[in-house]
Amino acid sequence: MNEDDRSGLLVVRCRLGERAAFGELARLWHDALWRYVRGMVGSPYVADDLAQDVWVAVVRGLPRLREPDRFAPWLFTIARRTVADHLREAYKAPQTSVEETDVAADDSLSGLLTTMEIEAGLGELPPLEREVMILFHLQDLPLTACAEVLGVPPGTVKSRLHRARRTLREILTERGYGT
Amino acid sequence: MSEQDHGAHRGVPAELERALAAEVSLRSRMRYVAVGLAGGCAAVLVAVLWATEPRPLPPRTQAVFAGLIAVGLAWAAFAGWVLSRRRPLYARDQVLGARLALAASTVTGTVGTALAAARGTVTATLTAALVGTVLVATAGLLLARAQSRRRELLRLRDVLQRNVS
Repeated sequence: MNEDDRSGLLVVRCRLGERAAFGELARLWHDALWRYVRGMVGSPYVADDLAQDVWVAVVRGLPRLREPDRFAPWLFTIARRTVADHLREAYKAPQTSVEETDVAADDSLSGLLTTMEIEAGLGELPPLEREVMILFHLQDLPLTACAEVLGVPPGTVKSRLHRARRTLREILTERGYGT
Repeated sequence: MSEQDHGAHRGVPAELERALAAEVSLRSRMRYVAVGLAGGCAAVLVAVLWATEPRPLPPRTQAVFAGLIAVGLAWAAFAGWVLSRRRPLYARDQVLGARLALAASTVTGTVGTALAAARGTVTATLTAALVGTVLVATAGLLLARAQSRRRELLRLRDVLQRNVS
């Protein structure tokens, strides 16, 4: 069974008011959501709290989700907002202002990064690059869905991915993972 | 990332399951629907009583009536805010809520018209009947819309169920 179809069906059942469907939807997506939040905030304990906040926002917002098959980008958009609010609160300072450039991605550096390698170096990436790596590589969201979640054009997603991969490769090389 | 992961693949924590169950509770939603309807209907009935008083009321009594109406409307507004922001009604809940609204508006319209007929003039009776009719018609429209939305979602669910099976 396709995960998107399954999510779509669960979303419709939730919108109908079938209470059991909410638990099923959470069971289907909680791990992915938690990994994203944890990757962004670092602490698993904070990730627990934030993931709960995200689920509360999800059940409150579900009646307004008109396209059930768009659940994944919608969920990660809420998660992103929740994480941003948390970081803003935590640092009491404006978010990082990494300059954006809409350059085409150079995939020559992408290589084949394994999930383990990505997770190993994730913590040292800047927030914007870390976020795009989690969404694209760890959550397997397509480029357009990443762009929707991040609220930027697909070209910007590509350039962030390019930067992230390059930085990650440098980090991993320094740690002796090899090239 | 220096902290040790506590169960990266661990499913939904029990605490979250409980929070979700409380968050989607039907009982809690119907409680707010009832509070809103009670507040709104009480405000209408107090307004009918006030409007059909045979003699002008002393200022203090008028203030009490106005206060009671304001309190009723405030509860209705509060319930409306909760139901739109904190506890949104899902399709099935909307049908249930609309049925309650239809019942409450029918009772309020009937009682209000009867009160006006017993205590007031013909104009007051006609006004109360008109307000009652508007309330019942609004609740009826809400019910029809909720049922139509629910049917639409049921159809979509059946289509998706066929796709995934």
